[in-house]
Amino acid sequence: MPGKIINNSFDALVIGGGIAGGEAALNIANNGFKVLIIEKDLSIGGKMILLSKVFPTLDCSACITTPKVSEISRHPGITIFTGSEVKNIAKIKENSFEAEVVRNPRYVNVDDCTGCQLCEEACPVLVPDQYQYNLVGRKAAFIPHSIASPRAAAIDIENCTLCGACEKVCPAKCIDFTQETETYHLKIKTVVLATGFNLFDPLKIPRYGFGQFKNVITSMQMERQLAPTRPFSTILRPGDGKVPDKIAYVLCTGSRDATIGNPICSQICCMYSIKQAQLLMGALPMADVTIYYINIRSFGKGFEEFYDQAKGMGVNFIKGKIGKISETDKGNLILRYEDINENIVKETEHDMVVLSVGVLPNPENSSFFPNEQLKLDPFNFVYQTDCLASPALTSIHGVFVAGTASGPMDIPDSILSAGAASSEAISYLTQKK
Amino acid sequence: MEVEKGKTFKYLREKKGVNQEVKDNLKHFTKIKKVILDALKEKDLTVEELTQQLKMPKHEVVYYLMSLVKYGFVKTGVIDDMDEYFNYKISK
Ligand SMILES: Cc1cc2nc3c(=O)[nH]c(=O)nc-3n(C[C@H](O)[C@H](O)[C@H](O)COP(=O)(O)OP(=O)(O)OC[C@H]3O[C@@H](n4cnc5c(N)ncnc54)[C@H](O)[C@@H]3O)c2cc1C
Ligand code: SF4
Repeated sequence: MPGKIINNSFDALVIGGGIAGGEAALNIANNGFKVLIIEKDLSIGGKMILLSKVFPTLDCSACITTPKVSEISRHPGITIFTGSEVKNIAKIKENSFEAEVVRNPRYVNVDDCTGCQLCEEACPVLVPDQYQYNLVGRKAAFIPHSIASPRAAAIDIENCTLCGACEKVCPAKCIDFTQETETYHLKIKTVVLATGFNLFDPLKIPRYGFGQFKNVITSMQMERQLAPTRPFSTILRPGDGKVPDKIAYVLCTGSRDATIGNPICSQICCMYSIKQAQLLMGALPMADVTIYYINIRSFGKGFEEFYDQAKGMGVNFIKGKIGKISETDKGNLILRYEDINENIVKETEHDMVVLSVGVLPNPENSSFFPNEQLKLDPFNFVYQTDCLASPALTSIHGVFVAGTASGPMDIPDSILSAGAASSEAISYLTQKK
Repeated sequence: MEVEKGKTFKYLREKKGVNQEVKDNLKHFTKIKKVILDALKEKDLTVEELTQQLKMPKHEVVYYLMSLVKYGFVKTGVIDDMDEYFNYKISK
């Protein structure tokens, strides 16, 4: 709300409140600078806040993210606008940018909301829950998810019937349908791009049957099924509610495939699939899990051991390229694949298939700077002008990049990258002061 | 214009209205919720049994049933002897 903003100038503008943006903001603010995070979602935390456990340590993702997110939210030097967008940024001169930011109405006064969820209970509307990747429904008056930050309700105005049930029951009287879009004109000195990545949409590979065969799901949907804040009480097939016992992973879905426009490796899918396979064997001890791969990319510290651990637990690894997935009348899936080692085509039946979807660039980056050229690399990630020596530099002096906005990477690398971006931003702010 | 606290939904309803698709979605969910809860009032049922009674695609039954579990209307019951399918029971 306008009253909450002390002034309209900040030292640093961080676009994106995922783990990379959050980390960069904390580092900059810890050095005494005023930071504004613009997050388009209703909660900060990015994709990490929705993960189950993390490879290769199998630490609980929420347990790592929640304290971090809370430190970011409580930091006196950090202001956060959720549900907001950067319309444009103009570079006036070194150390001086002007940004136009639009804050969309949440229809809830966040400071007054206690997160009691009475509005959610009262709301009669049900629509697919995007935070559970549509596996289950949510209300039009809703708290994004149980570890959201801010943990405050929001109204999905597109799906709201304006019946007023939520407003009538709200004990804090914090629901306010008179809220309107607010536009801010901000003066800032440096920008960090931490807009993250998009997930590959498997509808673009119709032969895998996603959307058509309900027991073909994405890795993010499986991630949600494995998380403590899961949509179902246990792992279930969305097609019929059966507990699966023969699960297949299809690696490189939407990666390393020039035919769908993404020829590069997404770097994280091998490892997150191996992680999920191990978690599945814990959740469903009788389950049989098979990973179909082209190559296993276990390049990081402890990754090869993690891969060996999965093999030791009984996860099957088949070097095979999937040609087609078809469905039986029981909702099982038949995977037709080329066994690369034996050089023959085989077919195997599974009762659930997880597509390990790849990492794609966020196309929004190029729209922020109408008067400058933010260079993109050949794959449309933000171009790093000095990738080896100063990986946070972009083609615009004073604009730095953090995390997966510059290419696929895991959480530790995103945090390291945010460290580089914040150091560069602090150095830029200090030199030009 | 000062809008009375607690009644701001009326202000927006008058200002922008509510489109037909949103109204239809509400009607659809209200109906499905009623038929699922009515069926479960009679006896505990599996997804398969609910699908047969409701004449709805199985995946839709799963989606609505799990949403009713999430909001506390339905509880997960016991799993069958093959450890494959749970049955579901009414909780309110
Ligand atoms: C299924 C799956 C499992 C994974 N498991 C692991 C694991 O076990 N271990 C591991 O190390 N890594 C894992 N990862 C990778 C991990 O998710 C990423 O490394 C990490 O999320 C990258 O963080 P980020 O901040 O760069 O991007 P993101 O998490 O994508 O965050 C970007 C943020 O920017 C916001 N944003 C985007 N555009 C705009 C805009 N225009 N304006 C304002 N805000 C914007 C987004 O809403 C989001 O909050 C997994 C990924 C997937 C898909
Ligand atoms: S006003 Fe909208 S959000 Fe509130 S209860 Fe009614 S439909 Fe749900």
